[in-house]
Amino acid sequence: MTATATRSRRSRRAAASGVRALLFLLRARAVFVLVALITLFSLLAPAFFTANNLTILAKHVAISAILAIGMTFVILTGGIDLSVGSVAGLGGMIMGYLLTRGVAVGGAEYFPPVVLAILITIAVCLVVGLLNGWLVAKAGVAPFIATLGTLYIARGAALLISNGKTFPNLAGTGGRGNTGFPAFGQSYFLSLPLPVWIMLVLFGVAAVVARKTPLGRQVYAIGGNERAARLAGIQVPRVKVFTYLASSLCAALVGLIIASQLEAAHPATGESFELNAIAAVVLGGTSLMGGRGSVAGSLIGACVIGVLSDGLVMLGVSEFWQMVIKGSVIVLAVAVDQLQSRVQARFLPLLLTAQPEGAEG
Amino acid sequence: MTHPASDVVLEAREIVRRYPGTVALNGVTYRVYRNQVNALIGENGAGKSTLMRILAGVETADAGQLLLDGEPIEIRSPREAARLGISIVHQELSVLPNLDLAENVFAGREPVQVGALIDRAIEDRRTAAALTRLRKPMNVRLIAGQASLGARQIVEVARTLDQGARILILDEPTSALSNAEAESLFEVIHELKRSGVTIIYISHRLNELLHLGDRFTILRAGRITGELPRAEVSRQWIVEKMSGRELADRVPTSEVRANCSELLRANGLSLASAAADQAAQTPLDNLSFTLRKGEILGIYGLLGAGRTELLESLVGLRPLAAGRIEIRGAAVNLSSVAAAASHGIFLVPEDRQRDGLFPELSIRENIMLGARSGLQVRRADETARARAVAADLNLAAADLEVPVAALSGGNQQKVLIARCLVRAPVILLLDEPTRGVDVGAKAEIYRILRRLCLQGIGIVFTSSEIEETQALADRALVLCQGRIAADLSRAEMTDEALFVAASPVVTAAHTSRQGAAPA
Repeated sequence: MTATATRSRRSRRAAASGVRALLFLLRARAVFVLVALITLFSLLAPAFFTANNLTILAKHVAISAILAIGMTFVILTGGIDLSVGSVAGLGGMIMGYLLTRGVAVGGAEYFPPVVLAILITIAVCLVVGLLNGWLVAKAGVAPFIATLGTLYIARGAALLISNGKTFPNLAGTGGRGNTGFPAFGQSYFLSLPLPVWIMLVLFGVAAVVARKTPLGRQVYAIGGNERAARLAGIQVPRVKVFTYLASSLCAALVGLIIASQLEAAHPATGESFELNAIAAVVLGGTSLMGGRGSVAGSLIGACVIGVLSDGLVMLGVSEFWQMVIKGSVIVLAVAVDQLQSRVQARFLPLLLTAQPEGAEG
Repeated sequence: MTHPASDVVLEAREIVRRYPGTVALNGVTYRVYRNQVNALIGENGAGKSTLMRILAGVETADAGQLLLDGEPIEIRSPREAARLGISIVHQELSVLPNLDLAENVFAGREPVQVGALIDRAIEDRRTAAALTRLRKPMNVRLIAGQASLGARQIVEVARTLDQGARILILDEPTSALSNAEAESLFEVIHELKRSGVTIIYISHRLNELLHLGDRFTILRAGRITGELPRAEVSRQWIVEKMSGRELADRVPTSEVRANCSELLRANGLSLASAAADQAAQTPLDNLSFTLRKGEILGIYGLLGAGRTELLESLVGLRPLAAGRIEIRGAAVNLSSVAAAASHGIFLVPEDRQRDGLFPELSIRENIMLGARSGLQVRRADETARARAVAADLNLAAADLEVPVAALSGGNQQKVLIARCLVRAPVILLLDEPTRGVDVGAKAEIYRILRRLCLQGIGIVFTSSEIEETQALADRALVLCQGRIAADLSRAEMTDEALFVAASPVVTAAHTSRQGAAPA
C-alpha cells in the first residue's frame, strides 16, 4: 500500500524532472543555437574563430544589441518601437550638422565641443522617444502606428537636415575645438572596441533595472496584465513613456557610433535596423505580447543574428540566401517559443504537484 | 438613522452613476459600519460592483458625496483609496500572472534599498507573514499564473493586508473558491474583524452571508431597498428585498410539453478544470439532462457554478472530457462551433461586447455575419432578410446601416438573437440573456423567447437571477459547483428551492467555530 504510493510518487517526480529538463532546454535554446552556430562556422571557415574576426563580429553585434536592449523594455510592456532605425539615422545627422556646420549664436558660428554635441544629439533623440511615449501612453495611439509615424518623421527630419546629402569628415578641426569624435566608435579599451563596452555597460544597467528595480518590475507587470497593473496602482503611462525613452536613448547611441566609425553621417543610416532589433528580442525569448522575456535573452538573440550574418558572409553564401536563412531562423524561434508555452501549460499540474520543495498549500 | 454617527466609518451619500443606456446607481446612500462585516446583497446588475468600484477609486461617481469618519473625501484613484485605507479584492481576479506571489503583493509599491533596488528580502518576508496570517503559507516565489484560483485570491487579500487596509472590500470572494478555500477565507475574515478591520462583503451565497454578516444592505436596480442588522434579518426578507417581488412582471405560463418530442439529450457531460487559465473554468461533473421541442430550459446557478461552461460545451467551444450528446436521438459530435452550427445549435454569449458584437459594423452586417450567402454578398437580399428578422424581433432601429454600437443594450441583444435566427436554429442557447438590459427590454426579450419556443425551437438559457428563472423557464436545472443540484419543474421553482440548491453547503462545524480561530 505505502510502497505503491511511494513508487507512484517517485515516478511522478521523475516525470516532473524530465519535463523540467525539457523546459530548460527549450528556454535556453538561444544559447544552444549560438554555441552551435559558432562551432559550425569555426569548422567551416578557419578564419572565423580568430581574435581579429571576433573583434569585428563584436562590433557588428554591438549595434543590433544596443538597439535590442532598449527595444526589450518596450516589447515587455506589450508595445513595439519601429522608429529606432530612423532615430539612429537622425542622431548621426544631428551630430554631423553640429560638427561641420555648427550653430548660429548671435550671428557667429559656434561649434560645440564633441561631448556637448553628443549630449545635444541624445537630447533631440529623446524628444522623439518622448513623443512615442506620449502618443502611446497618453493619446492612446497603437504602438505600431505611433512609432511607424515617428519612423517616417525622424527619417524625413534626417533627410531635411542636409537636404539628403552626407556630412563628410566628422573628425573635426583643431581650430573649431571639436576634434575627437572618431574615438567614440573606433577607440579600444582593454583591447575591446569602445562600442562593445558601451553595449556591455548598457546591458548591465538594463539587466539590473529590469530585474532589481520597481521600474523594471512594473514593466513586466504591465505586459502581464495591464488592467491588473493599473488596479494595483502602477502608473502605467509613466512606465510606458520610460520604455520609449530608453529605446530612443539606445537608438541615439547607435547613430553616434556608426557616424563615428564612418567619420561621416548619411541620412539613410539605420534603415531596417528596427527589424533586426525586434528579431534579436524575439529570438531571445521575449514575447511580443509582453510580460515575458529578459534583457540577457535579447543580447544573446543579437549575437545569434550577428554570428549568422557574418558567418554566412565568410562562407560566401549569397546575400539572397542569407535573407532566406535569417527569416527562417526567426520564424523557427517563435514557433519553438509557442511549443515551450504549450509544453509548460500541458505539464503544469505535474510540475506543481511534484514540487521538490513540497510547497503546496 | 438611529445609530450614532461614529458607528458609520464610511458613508456614500446620494451616489449617482450612469452608463450609456443605463443608470447603474440611482441616488444610493450606503453606510459602512465600523469593525463589522457589512454584507451587500443584490442580483447581477443591481449596481453592487459599481458602488464598490467607486469606493475603491476605480471609478468616480457622476454625483454624490463620500464621507470617511464623517469627513468629506474624494477618491480619484486606487492609490488614493489605498492611502485612505480602503482596499478592494476584485471579483475578477486581478493578479499579474507572469510575476511571482511576493511580486504580486508588492506590485506598484515595491520596497527599495540603496535608493533604487528592490528589497527582495523584505518582499518575501512580509508576503510570507501576510500569508501566514491568512493561514495559507505558500511558496512566495511561485509564479502567480501557476497558482490555483484560490491561491490567487488569497494573494490579493494578502496584498490589501500588507497595505494596512482599514476597510476591505471583498467582491464575491468565494465565487471561484473550493469549499475548503472558502472556509479558510471565512476564518481570515473573523481574524481581520478582530484586529479592527471593517469588511464589506458581497456575495450571492445566502448561507455564507447569514453566517458572516453583521449588517445587511440590499441593493436592487441601482437603489437601496433595505438595511438591517443581523439580528433582524431573515432569509425571507433578503429574498423579498432583493428580487422586488412586487415589481415582477410574470410572463404567462406556457403549457407543459411533456409529450413533445425530445430534442436534445445530454448524458454524463464532464469538463476538465483548467486552473492555469486566467479565465477560470469550472469543471463540469457528469451532467445529464434533456431538452424537449418547444421547451425553455433554465440553468440557474451562482457565479462559478458552471453555467457558461455548460453552454459553451454545447456550442462546441470547449472540448468535453467525457459525455454523449444526442440530437433527436442521434449521437452527435460537437467538437467545434461549426459542427454545432451544422446541427442548428447557436449561442448568444453572456458578454455581448467581448464575445458577440462587432461594434464598428452595421446592424445589418452584425445580423448577417453568420448566414451563408454563397461566394457573393448580395446586398439587396441581405438587407431584405435582415429587415425581416429585425421587424420580427421589433428591433428599434430605423436604419440598419448604423453601427451596432449606437444601439441600447436591449436592442444589441436582439441583434445577437437575430444573428442566430437567420441561421434557422434548432436549439438556441442564451447565456444571461438580459444582462445589462433595462426592464422594458427585458420583458420584451422574454416575450420573444416565448414566441420562438412556440415555433418549436428548443431554448436553453442561463441566469443568476431567481426572478428571471421563474419568469421564463418551463423547467430549471440548478447548477452548483459543476453539478446538477436540482431539476425543478415550474411548480417547484420557489425562491427557497432555487436558493438552497444553488448554495454550496457550508459545514455545520464551521458555523459553531465562528470567531474561534485555530492556532
